[in-house]
Amino acid sequence: MKAGPASLWRDRLAFDARAAVLLCAVLAALPLVITGPYAQGIILVSMYFAILSLAWNALAGYTGQFSLAPAAFAMLGGYTTALLDFYWHVPLVLAIPAAVVSTALLGLVLGKLVLNLSGPYLSLTTLAFAEIARVVIGNSHEFTRGDQGMHVATLTESRLAYYYIFLAALVLVLAVLYFMLRGRLGRFMTAVRDDAIGAESRGIDVVRVKMIVFCTSCAICGLAGSLYGTFSQLVSPELGLLQQTGLVLAMVVIGGMGSLTGSVVGALLVYLGSEWLRELGNVQVIVFALLVILFARWVPGGLWSAAVARIGRKQA
Amino acid sequence: MLRLSLDLLANGLIYGCFYALMAVGLAMIFGVLKIVNFAHGEFFMIGAYTYVLVALNFSVSPWLALPCAAIGGAALGWIVERLLMRPLYAGYASWGFMKDEYAVVVTFGLSLLLVNLVDKVVGPYSYKGPALIETSRFALGPVMLTGQKAIATVVAVFIMIALALFLKKSVWGKQIQAVAQNRLGASLAGIDATRTTSLIFAISGMLAALSGALLAPLVNPSPDVGSFPAIKSYVIVVLGGMGSVWGAMIAALIVGVSEAFFSVYGSYDYRDAFGLAILVLVLLLRPQGLLGQKGRDV
Repeated sequence: MKAGPASLWRDRLAFDARAAVLLCAVLAALPLVITGPYAQGIILVSMYFAILSLAWNALAGYTGQFSLAPAAFAMLGGYTTALLDFYWHVPLVLAIPAAVVSTALLGLVLGKLVLNLSGPYLSLTTLAFAEIARVVIGNSHEFTRGDQGMHVATLTESRLAYYYIFLAALVLVLAVLYFMLRGRLGRFMTAVRDDAIGAESRGIDVVRVKMIVFCTSCAICGLAGSLYGTFSQLVSPELGLLQQTGLVLAMVVIGGMGSLTGSVVGALLVYLGSEWLRELGNVQVIVFALLVILFARWVPGGLWSAAVARIGRKQA
Repeated sequence: MLRLSLDLLANGLIYGCFYALMAVGLAMIFGVLKIVNFAHGEFFMIGAYTYVLVALNFSVSPWLALPCAAIGGAALGWIVERLLMRPLYAGYASWGFMKDEYAVVVTFGLSLLLVNLVDKVVGPYSYKGPALIETSRFALGPVMLTGQKAIATVVAVFIMIALALFLKKSVWGKQIQAVAQNRLGASLAGIDATRTTSLIFAISGMLAALSGALLAPLVNPSPDVGSFPAIKSYVIVVLGGMGSVWGAMIAALIVGVSEAFFSVYGSYDYRDAFGLAILVLVLLLRPQGLLGQKGRDV
C-alpha cells in the first residue's frame, strides 16, 4: 500500500487498537487471578468508566468537542431503563436498548442547539444541561423518587457474569469506535478538531460530523449508565454528578487524549487509584484534579503519547 | 398582587446585582482570552469562605472581612492566570491541546480541585455567615427587606459603579478595553498585554469573591456553593453577549428579575432549571446575545 497520511493514520490507529485488545484480553483473564467479589466489582466499575472515557474521548480527543455531560447522559440512560422497568415492566432486553436510543435522541436535540456554534458554547451548554438534568430528576419526587433513587431489575445476580457483560460492552464500544475512526469519518473527525474552518472549506459538513459523533458518544454513555443501573440495581441522581464527569475527564487527560488504549488505561488507573486514595482519606478528587491540571499543562498527550514517544525513540 | 410583584421585582433586582458582580468578571475574561472560566463559581466560594472564616476566627468586624475576601479573590485570580493561563497566549509552538480545549480542561479541573480542597480542609458543613448589619426585617414601601440585603445591595451597586468608572476612565481600564479589542494591536501600541491579562483575572476574581462575601450571610456557604451562581453567570454572559461587560450587567438584572417571578408564578422546585430555558432560547433566537457582536458561527 502507498504510504500516505491515510495509511499512517491507519497504522497508528491499528497499533492503538491492538494494544486495547491486548488490554481487554488481560481483563478477560483477570477473574482467574482475582477471585474476590469486591475486587472484581472494582474492576467492573472501572470498565464502566472506561466505556464513558472512550465515549468522551471520541468526542473530545478525536473531534475536539468538549462536552461536560457524559455522566449526565449515563444518568439519563440509567433512568430510562429504570422508568421503563418500574412503570411498564418492560423486560431489560428491551429497556437497555431503549436507553441507548433515548440518549442518542436527546444528544440529537441538544446537539442541534449547540453544535453549529463554535468555541466554548458546547461546554457551557452541556454543563448547564448536566446540572439541570440532575436537579430536575432529583426534584421530581412523584415520578423518579428524587434523590432516593430508583430500584432497577437486574439481568443476573452473578457478579462474574456482569463482569463479562461489561467486558463485552467495552469490546463492542472499542470495535464501534475503531471502525468509525478507521474510515473516512475518522479523518473527518480529526480534521474538524484540528481546523474546523479548513475542513469546512474542503467540503466537509462540519456540523454533520460533530452531530454523528455527539450522538454516538451520548448513546454509548446511555448504554454504560443503563448497564451500570441494572448491575447496582439502583439509579440515583448521583450518577450524573459533575464530579463523575470530572473523573471521566481525568481518565482521558491522564490516559491520553485521542487514544483508545489511553482511555481504558486511564480509566483503570484513575478508578483503582481513587479506590486506594479513598481508603487514605477521601482525597481522590483532589489528587486527580491536580493531576489533570499538571498533565494538561505539561504532558498534553497523556501517558499514551508519552509511552509511544518512548517506544519510538527506542526503535530509532 | 401589585404589592407582591413590586416585592419580587425588588428582590430580583437585588439578586441581579450580585449575579452581575460575578458575570462581569466572567465576561471580561472571555472578552480578553476568549475562554470560559469554569472555576468562576470557586472564586465566589473562596470569597464567601474567606469572609466567613476571617469574621468568625479573628472575630473582626465583617466590614474588615469584606476587603479580606476581595484580596483573597484577587490573589487567587492572579495566581491562576500566572500559573495556568499563560500557555493560552504565550505562543507555545507544539501545544498538544488547542486553546479552548486546554482552557476547558484546566479550569474544570481547577474547579473540582478547589471544591474538594475546601471540603477537605474546612469541612463539608455549611457556615452561617455573619451579617454586615444586624436588623430585623423592615418594609421599604411595599418591599420587605433585611438590613443585610439592603446594605449588601448598596455595596454591590457601589462596586459596579466603581468598576464602570475604572474601565471607562482610568489608564488601566482603557488598557483592558484595548487588549480585549485587539491583543496584537494593543501590544504594538505599547500596552503590556500580559500584565493586563493578569489584572483582568485579579479583578474578576475579586468581583466574584466580593459577590460571594456579600451573599455569604444569605446563602450559608458550603464547598459547592459556587456551582449555581456560576451556572447563572454562564447563562448571563451568553444572554448579554459573550465578552460584553455592559451586556452582562443588564442581562444579570433581567435574569435576577425573571427568576424571582418564575420561582413564585412558575415552580419553586425547578427554579434552577429555569436558567437552562433562558440559555436555550437565547441560543435559538439570538446567539450573539443582547449586546454582542455577530460572527460566532464556525
